Amino acid sequence: MMGPPGTLMQRIYPRQHLMRVDDLGQELRLLRVSNVRKVFHSTRGTYTALDGASLTIEDGEFVCLLGPSGCGKSTLLNILAGFEPATSGAVFADDAPVTAAARDRVMLFQDAGTALLPWLSVEENMRFALRVRRIPKPEWPEVIDKYLHMVNLDRHRAKFPYELSGGMRQRLQIARALAVEPKVLLMDEPFAALDALTRRHMHAVLLDIWQRTGKTVVFVTHDIAEAISLADRIAVMSVGPCSAITKLIDIDLPRPRDLTNRKVAELFNEIEALLAPDLQRLDAMEAQ
Amino acid sequence: MNVDHVDPGLKSMIKTSGSKAAISMTSVVPSRKSQRLISQPAVRPLLLGAASLLIVFVIWQFLSTFVFNPYLIPPPIQVIRTAIPMVLSGEIPADAAISMVRVLVGFVAGSLSGIIIGVLLGRVRLLHELLDPVLELLRYLSPTAMIPIAVIWFGIGEMSKYFLIFWGTFFIVVINTTAGVWRAPIARQRAAECLGASKLQIFVLVAIPSAVPYIVTGMRVAMASSFMSIIPAEILAADSGIGYLLQKSSMLLQTDRIFVALLAICLLGFLADRLFRLFADKVLTRYMTYVSLT
Repeated sequence: MMGPPGTLMQRIYPRQHLMRVDDLGQELRLLRVSNVRKVFHSTRGTYTALDGASLTIEDGEFVCLLGPSGCGKSTLLNILAGFEPATSGAVFADDAPVTAAARDRVMLFQDAGTALLPWLSVEENMRFALRVRRIPKPEWPEVIDKYLHMVNLDRHRAKFPYELSGGMRQRLQIARALAVEPKVLLMDEPFAALDALTRRHMHAVLLDIWQRTGKTVVFVTHDIAEAISLADRIAVMSVGPCSAITKLIDIDLPRPRDLTNRKVAELFNEIEALLAPDLQRLDAMEAQ
Repeated sequence: MNVDHVDPGLKSMIKTSGSKAAISMTSVVPSRKSQRLISQPAVRPLLLGAASLLIVFVIWQFLSTFVFNPYLIPPPIQVIRTAIPMVLSGEIPADAAISMVRVLVGFVAGSLSGIIIGVLLGRVRLLHELLDPVLELLRYLSPTAMIPIAVIWFGIGEMSKYFLIFWGTFFIVVINTTAGVWRAPIARQRAAECLGASKLQIFVLVAIPSAVPYIVTGMRVAMASSFMSIIPAEILAADSGIGYLLQKSSMLLQTDRIFVALLAICLLGFLADRLFRLFADKVLTRYMTYVSLT
């Protein structure tokens, strides 16, 4: 079950990902967000959540979308997943425009208890994914074993989600997503509802899986420390309305990244200072 | 969309699954058998329930012997004395069986068609927009209001009773099923969608199972309503069944027989609900247990 967080972390070092190159030697971008604008219409009027958001994500990269709540991170993720269309601008996956949810981008939700099928056991949830993905039945046992083992749930396969802890449910959601072999994991604050210890453990689990499988991860969070300990690159978003990606921060510090480390701490302070004016603006807006 | 009567049922569902969990927990704890039996949450309410009934019977006996006219309110002992030959001669069982079959046929037909229509209304927006106004108007016609026209349409045979019970069941089940499918969590449907599920798969494998607790609640409410509507239907338009027994006894001013019939209705309704819950618990457990979680 839950090992000490350190054991997994120790194996993780900065990752040299392989860049895919096309015929002309141009590097291929896996995901491209191009000048996205998103307007919501409601009876109380219109709200422009995103305006001019642009971002490029490379194959195998771990990107965190960081920003205070209400900055449109989840909206951007939903557009990336293909659940909602952009009002203007576009999103490309492998240079093809995203128009609907597709099999190579799997979303992981914060509330795993809702995202999973609560009436199916751990193993049956895995089978559900393989069934809707039309993977030939003879391959199922092998795939299920592989990914349940990867997230350390193979001894709990007969249990139902309500019998699992929050962290275990989230690990099942990860295993179920991996089982359909997507290229991209879109994660919408997946660990925000977990307690601090479990969250740290889940960070280690996720980094370990990311290293082993080479998936691209787009991870939404409002937690600076979480973004720093996970990401290759942090995309900082401004407070809405009309939010956009205001700054990209590359992190080439070795993992695990300890907040007591001087460089990590400096980075933390830098990002905090970056977000401060936005948060003040948010306060001012709420005060009005 | 009116979903008001969803909640109390869900709450009781939560309670039942809660107490079930508690039972399995207490039975793990090793302790002396007798002590465990009393401390078990299922036994306590049973004992208290029996005590409460006994107290009511005693008070009733006292009041109808010394305060009220025993002819208008026959004391319980006299009711039981009247009941025994009625049960033994097969009069009550025969009438009860007839009424129960009517309820069962109407209830099953109403529930099945209610689930089918409700599931479609919860999913197909156009259908919902087209049919909802009609349903919203029709559902105020109680089965009792439909008795006169049912008799003209179907006579006083079985068909009119089936129709009336169907009428009482259908709307309640439709409304609850629609609400359940409507409220299937978006995150769950989207998660299935990006795993590769087709629209039909999301509908059948995700949305409908998510609605099961709502459907079961709707059916329980509908069952209570069936028991309430079979009696007026039989009083006004039948020559058999418990309702007819009531009507006949009233004509002959046999209050003790009326009380026997009333008690029979209470017992039958109670038993039917217990049986239905047992069925829901056994067959649908996996769709129900998680309700206590979320």
